[in-house]
Amino acid sequence: MADINDPGMVNSKIFEDLQKKIDDDAETREQLRAFLQTLERQGRVAQSVLSRAHSTPVAHLQPVITAAEASIRDEIETIGQLAAVASNSPYYKYNGMWTREVQNVVFSILMCGWLGGMATASNPASAGKLLTIEEVGSILNVPVNLKDQDAFHITIEEYLQSLITLIEELARLAINSVTLGDYQRPLEISTFVKDLHAGFQILNLKNDSLRRRSDGIKYNVKKIEDIVYDLSLRNLVPKPEASN
Amino acid sequence: MPSIKRTHDGSEKEKEANLSPFMPMFETFRDELDEHHDRRERVIKTSRDITAASKKIIFALQRVRTLKSDIPEKIAKEVDDRASAMQKQMEAIAPDLAGINAWRYQRQISGGIQEYIEAIAFQHYIQFQTLITPTESSALLPSRINLTPDDYLLGLFDLSGELMRYAITTIATTGGLPKSGDRDILVDLRSVRACFEALDTTSSAGTGLGKDVQKKMEVMQQSVDKVETAVYGLIIRGRERPKGWVPDLKEERVVESY
Repeated sequence: MADINDPGMVNSKIFEDLQKKIDDDAETREQLRAFLQTLERQGRVAQSVLSRAHSTPVAHLQPVITAAEASIRDEIETIGQLAAVASNSPYYKYNGMWTREVQNVVFSILMCGWLGGMATASNPASAGKLLTIEEVGSILNVPVNLKDQDAFHITIEEYLQSLITLIEELARLAINSVTLGDYQRPLEISTFVKDLHAGFQILNLKNDSLRRRSDGIKYNVKKIEDIVYDLSLRNLVPKPEASN
Repeated sequence: MPSIKRTHDGSEKEKEANLSPFMPMFETFRDELDEHHDRRERVIKTSRDITAASKKIIFALQRVRTLKSDIPEKIAKEVDDRASAMQKQMEAIAPDLAGINAWRYQRQISGGIQEYIEAIAFQHYIQFQTLITPTESSALLPSRINLTPDDYLLGLFDLSGELMRYAITTIATTGGLPKSGDRDILVDLRSVRACFEALDTTSSAGTGLGKDVQKKMEVMQQSVDKVETAVYGLIIRGRERPKGWVPDLKEERVVESY
């Protein structure tokens, strides 16, 4: 048996402290998870509202935009609550938990902005518009691309991921616009997506999920180009003067 | 390179390249991402270097045969030289791991830190025959490098493997367990094992820690079993053991039967 004066190999406080830290960590995750569930549900609502754009002619889009803005406002509120709790911990410690949901919210904002919504006092809405990461941040009321401060924010990677989702969604919208008899919008989408594609091509992406998804942009570009080709082949492309 | 439709006229091509109104924004993103990837690469490289140096320190320390006494000068010098070189590398990478970036590159640096903890915990055990505390471990890291509880814990798990090797080699070469006073290494291994086994990580089952702990727990238990088996062999066959005979480390566990 060991000497009574010998404290032994392990100071028992070590493992007590470790256990407490493990438990604290689990509790924080639990707290965050509650907001993420709410965000997930709200995200589904926002996306189903935005999906109506595929079957709605541009002239009747306003009710869709208004409804989308309303569900985005719900998401913004949850993001605010999430940000408050998340800012008690190092940002990148739990960032992986919410990045997906945040990307969905950013996409909803980008899509709604492109359709002609998300106007702010200083920033009037206009169809075909790309909201910058700073604009998205001010809509969400959170900082973007923080480097010198450890707090909740929107990262460049998240914004870029949402841009890719926007491109995918616009490729679908280009097809559905034709179905709706709108031959003008595919041309606008084509220019917009090509401009974004050119932007993505100057990025030096490493072998990560951003790289894999951005590799798919070209297929969407091609899909949209094919639509424009089909339209021009049949002389369906509106003349620049004739367009509203 | 952006895919710009080339025309026969070079200047027009230039004009077209500037057509995308989003270029300035993407240029900012490119610079930011480049910076991030460079930083990440530097952290990965340092982590690998620290891992390699820590392993060498552990190898050197495995040549020590005593417990709770000074490390032989030759080994101590090798260990110190490597440790101070490593210290410089860690100081150099510290700015990349400052502030918000501590956790951003945590997964990249984690491997190196765990191996380092294993090395300093092993050295600490040989010198003091106690388990190094988180505070003592942090003190051996540059102050700007954050030691997470996870890395500390996972480093300790690996320590049990080194203690097993140290115990078995000492048995093989000296015919007895490393010990000082009334306490030998098997007592220590068992008390560490008990602490590990009492730790409840079910709450972090979905995270990296939960999975790592599960894997390492098994290896740790096997390490303790190996030493127990070796001590059994020492007791039962000790007197018959020919000089220089080395127990087989891959020996199957002895099944208890009654």
